[in-house]
Amino acid sequence: MKTMTGLDFDAINQGQTLPSLTKHVTVEQIRQYADASGDRNPIHLDETFARSAGLPSVIAHGMLTMAFANQMVTDWLGDRSLLKRLQGRFAGMVLPGDEVTCSGSVASKDSDARRVVINLVVTNQRGERVFNKGVAEAEFPPQRSDTDAA
Amino acid sequence: MTDPRWVGRSYETPPFQVTEQSIRDYMAAVGDLREDGELIAPPTYAMVYGFDAYWQLWSDQEVALDVAHLVHGEQRFTFERPVRPGDRVTTTGRLTAINNRGDMDLVTFELSARDDKDQPVSNGTALFIIRKP
Repeated sequence: MKTMTGLDFDAINQGQTLPSLTKHVTVEQIRQYADASGDRNPIHLDETFARSAGLPSVIAHGMLTMAFANQMVTDWLGDRSLLKRLQGRFAGMVLPGDEVTCSGSVASKDSDARRVVINLVVTNQRGERVFNKGVAEAEFPPQRSDTDAA
Repeated sequence: MTDPRWVGRSYETPPFQVTEQSIRDYMAAVGDLREDGELIAPPTYAMVYGFDAYWQLWSDQEVALDVAHLVHGEQRFTFERPVRPGDRVTTTGRLTAINNRGDMDLVTFELSARDDKDQPVSNGTALFIIRKP
């Protein structure tokens, strides 16, 4: 069964690479994320406060980086409802002006359960990992047999 | 130092009314604008409907987490079903571990989100790292 954008479970192969996703993070986007999420911790919004807390500048919310990783996977799946699990470690700070790239590959595929596990990482423009040990798992709908379809 | 005696303390959000506007604001903020036909929230929107539980933890004067030195170390989610406009979601967060390790505290917060029929929506685990100043 294909999802709306046509990702075919049967055509997924272990080791396959997902299309990468690159995002340019700005002060404006961090503010917009703070408003949309409710997380207005001043380390994300107030330059003076962030520096007094020992940070180089305001920093992006870790969950913004995780949202990018989420998008890379669901863009590939073509259907947000297939994602069943997402996890990872915030390994480095993301600062305004950074360009982060999400990449991933299919770690395993279970044809009986119709599930795939994807390993993920997000790196910045210097190649440093800002999100690692990322794992996503998706479950595809049961395949309709010929009898069901008849 | 965060006192380990607060392990077990829990926080519940008021029911969060999911609206089309709230989902679209979130999609615009993270730049995830693809439409599936039916509007479904990006799964990490769990942070939006559950946010009040995190906020209650961070502002609990008794637990007194040093939020200026708090960073999000790890996050895990499992998603039980898609979230759509019209859903009402209540999230309960519980402090399940507080470990004092050298110059940092590791705080584990586990969250369970349910709809207004008491069916599971998502589960989350956040690990916060608090660096000692």
